[in-house]
Amino acid sequence: MIEFPEAAVRVLADERKAIAAAAGGSHSAFEQLYRRHAGRIYGLCLRLTGHRETAEDCVQETFVSAWRGLARFEARSAFATWLHRIAVNTVMARHRVRMATLESTTDASAEELDHRAGEDSPPLDLEAAIAALPGGARHVLVLVGLYGYSHEEAADALGIAVGTSKAQLHRARQMLAERLDLSPEGI
Amino acid sequence: MSDLDARLAGLPRDVSPAHDLWPAIHASIAASESAQRMRRWRVPLALAAGLGIAVTAGLIGWQLARMQPETPVGGLATAGFAVPASAQYVSMRAALEHTYRERLELLAPATRRRIEQDLATIRAANADIRRALAADPESPVLNRLLESTWQQEFDLYTTVVRNSEPATQGNRT
Repeated sequence: MIEFPEAAVRVLADERKAIAAAAGGSHSAFEQLYRRHAGRIYGLCLRLTGHRETAEDCVQETFVSAWRGLARFEARSAFATWLHRIAVNTVMARHRVRMATLESTTDASAEELDHRAGEDSPPLDLEAAIAALPGGARHVLVLVGLYGYSHEEAADALGIAVGTSKAQLHRARQMLAERLDLSPEGI
Repeated sequence: MSDLDARLAGLPRDVSPAHDLWPAIHASIAASESAQRMRRWRVPLALAAGLGIAVTAGLIGWQLARMQPETPVGGLATAGFAVPASAQYVSMRAALEHTYRERLELLAPATRRRIEQDLATIRAANADIRRALAADPESPVLNRLLESTWQQEFDLYTTVVRNSEPATQGNRT
């Protein structure tokens, strides 16, 4: 039988209490949850969007949505997983609106424009190279390559086929290797 | 593990935002809660509206709508509550608040407590939004939220005054 470290058990118990208090209307309990998870959610939103301000907006929307949905949160799933799901949905909803706007105002495909936006600035590091990836490839790389989603989970969250998720990850890795001047063995 | 995988694994999963996002989140939560509460207690208090108060309220609402685009961020602080920077608005708001205070005394203690809680929530939201605006003065979302707190305070005063007119209450059967 696997035993969790006592500290981890205590953290989970504290979190459960904070969730229950927040669901009962406690703003301070919800602030505790925010403080505990904001870094991870902001990191996720920042990598998915590639924009600091958009990521901040997404974090705000995520936590406001979480507050409104706390009564529906089921303790069977992890709170962090639930928050991640809300964050990804929030980012994707914005992404879809942005893509639709771009496509309706230009002849080029939104995916092309999304990619071009990152080409002007030479990548200085891995973060910049990820931010410059086209949306579809970036989303899969961030979820699967960075945050440990399976292809099935990523496909479900992004509303794409599992095969598309695998293809986008392959594409993302190749593009990153090119921009970071990695040898083929380095991929 | 490939070179790329090693680099990806080295990226921190947690990233701190450039500034604290909690004040804006809290303000948004408080504003929506306040609106919900006001909708709940308006119904049981549904009494007739006083014509004079309606005219005053209309004037203040018109003034508020007219001034918002030119109002500097944060506005004036009146008893800790930032309002649009206009002497005319401040004076009309003071008159309405005065009547509100008088009428509040006529209400049942439980109702009074709930209304005061709502007002405190609106004021806390106003303060939170101002704090958030200090860090991000150009944010359209925060500026809209700040304006909504003025409107909510105004709505709360008006609703209480309208629904607690002594003569109207006395004539009810």
